[in-house]
Amino acid sequence: MGVVAVLAGEVRAEGVGKTIDETTLLLPTDVSADPGECIVLRGPNGSGKTTLLRIIGGLLAPSTGTATIGGREADERDRAVRAAVAALLGAPTTYRDLTLIDHLVLIDSTWGGDPNSSDERGLALLDRLGIAHLDDRFPHELSSGQEQLFRLALTFSRPASVVLLDEPEQRLDTAKRQVVANLIRERTASGGTVVMACHDPQLTSDLATRVVDVVPAR
Amino acid sequence: MSKRKKPGRTQPAPADQPGHTAYDHPTPAATAQVPTTQVPAQVPTATEVDYDDHDLLGQADWVIGGDAARKARQQGLYAGYVLFLGALVYGLPIVQAVFRTSDAGSLGEQLRSPVAIALLVASVAALLGAVVFAGRFRGPVVPPMPWIDLVLPAPLDRALALRRWWRYAAVGGLFVGALSGLTVGAGLAFAHLAGVVTIIVTTLIGTALGVLASRLWLWSQVRSWPGPDRSLILLWRVPDALRELHAESLRTHSANTSTMAGSALTGNLRTARLALTRPVRHGRSARLRPGSPFVVLVRRDVLGLRRTPGAFLSGLGLTVLGGAVVTWAFTQPAAPSIAATIGLLPLYLGFGAWAEGLRLQADNVGTPSLLGTTEVTEAVTHVTVPTSLTVIVLGSWVGVAAALGSLPADALLSLWLVLVLVLAGNVLAAFRGSPTFVLRPQMVAIWYAVPALTVVVLGSVVAVLTKAGNYTWLSVVSWVVYAVLAWSVSKVRRLTYLHRS
Repeated sequence: MGVVAVLAGEVRAEGVGKTIDETTLLLPTDVSADPGECIVLRGPNGSGKTTLLRIIGGLLAPSTGTATIGGREADERDRAVRAAVAALLGAPTTYRDLTLIDHLVLIDSTWGGDPNSSDERGLALLDRLGIAHLDDRFPHELSSGQEQLFRLALTFSRPASVVLLDEPEQRLDTAKRQVVANLIRERTASGGTVVMACHDPQLTSDLATRVVDVVPAR
Repeated sequence: MSKRKKPGRTQPAPADQPGHTAYDHPTPAATAQVPTTQVPAQVPTATEVDYDDHDLLGQADWVIGGDAARKARQQGLYAGYVLFLGALVYGLPIVQAVFRTSDAGSLGEQLRSPVAIALLVASVAALLGAVVFAGRFRGPVVPPMPWIDLVLPAPLDRALALRRWWRYAAVGGLFVGALSGLTVGAGLAFAHLAGVVTIIVTTLIGTALGVLASRLWLWSQVRSWPGPDRSLILLWRVPDALRELHAESLRTHSANTSTMAGSALTGNLRTARLALTRPVRHGRSARLRPGSPFVVLVRRDVLGLRRTPGAFLSGLGLTVLGGAVVTWAFTQPAAPSIAATIGLLPLYLGFGAWAEGLRLQADNVGTPSLLGTTEVTEAVTHVTVPTSLTVIVLGSWVGVAAALGSLPADALLSLWLVLVLVLAGNVLAAFRGSPTFVLRPQMVAIWYAVPALTVVVLGSVVAVLTKAGNYTWLSVVSWVVYAVLAWSVSKVRRLTYLHRS
């Protein structure tokens, strides 16, 4: 990947808003998160939480305000930003001809993981999420809940100083939500920054360092 | 269903009941409601019910389409007329151009050689294989949804109820086969490579192949749904094949048609591709071995081909065929220049069949980054496997040409340019994105064709210049080929970051 600056997990979104034509997707909103923090975005459907996460991840340019990661403009075209941010925003496109463990090995290898222990890391993560027994399945052979767990595995399998999650609890039962909560806790405990949209009050109270209420445009 | 039916009903329809029509009959539910504990003597005897299948179908036709449906069906004749004119105006000149050569004697000998005959047989087999493949997703018998939902549940003979759509396909197959045979035979005769009798022979062979293709298409559609009778005997028992078609299967094929047509018209190639491909289930026990980013992505593509043998074999077949024709065009003086034009398309498609990783990379644009590689590095790794396989195939054909004692040095240079073109064309195709213009069928067709047309047109120019020995212009065209490669790389970058704006 060449020489890439390592960005700290400092997330700053100041007055970021998004308007397309006459439609306002997100009113100007401030979000600030430091390493070790978990910020929960809360708000009704359609208030712009996903849009805000996409702006913070550099996938979408804001109409107003600025968003930075580790002091650099949040722009996915910047290799350093790409290296810093792992995000689960919607369904990632998976390889239809790779099994679950193959996906994790592929991601691990492209991020320079030790080839000798790549399989073990992948299996351990699948085991944490309770889907290790499905390691040789293809993505299209999973139930919707298992698919969500696999998507979380994909997101957590790559190194990142900032993790963005859009409703990670969806389609998961209570026990699995706790597993996800533990993964997020570990990530923040190791100095990572997590910003997530969440509709689960229990998960929010367990994890949130701060809560940002996203106000709907109308 | 014959006109006399014995459905085993428990009682006749109450003819005088208000609201009933001449076609009303008791529902099968009435049979199911007969208590099983009744003594046999109390069970009413079965009655016979008259069905006039033709009359029922006529009524259904009228209710669903009215007179407009009848007129619409007559449009098929007009389409055949247009096809015939098209073959006359364009088909014959093209085929003549294919066989036009300065050395008809040598060309005739080469066309009669075992290799040429083997390639011809392989091409026909590949075409028939493609028909069987297509029949799994979209068979010849695809009535509209209202017909499937409202007419097929009636106790009509299914062979009769579906016969119309089969006839469209059967007549179409026969017509296209005969026309193709006629065009090829006439082209050979006009180019003085064969006598006039050849026209009759090729027309008959084309007609037979057209009939076989349409029947294989139907057989493949029957086999797309589980059932007891799936043998090849259905090829000549068409009514039985039609009766084997399950309503759910017809619904699936109809839905596939809508999905593919909608995806094609909107330029959503991923949806069309997923509708066409079977879920992967092979090679589950094989594991992706970790390694450096480049190596692991190459291994990914190799593993992908191991798990999708259909893609590997179709790529192999197309590349072997295209590679043979292209190599022949560049190395044999008697070969007409247009042979390269014909060979480039299967070569391009064969490369594409091996380049699923490239298309998956393009599918991923706009989603958060999961892999730790840059977009261009990833694209380069994804063309490594198809390029290597294409080099092996082309290299083998070059070896055959060298063994036969005909390998001009300029042919090697031109084949290198063809390889670069095919590679660039496939990158362009994978990263063509979505159409940004107003969606009109003609515009969408051109948008689809741009990468293939670029390969075929530029490759043909390379062939003409190589055969003419015009090295000044060949060097100019070689720069254009490298410009196409640079264009494809820029498309990778542009599409990857387009979503942000």
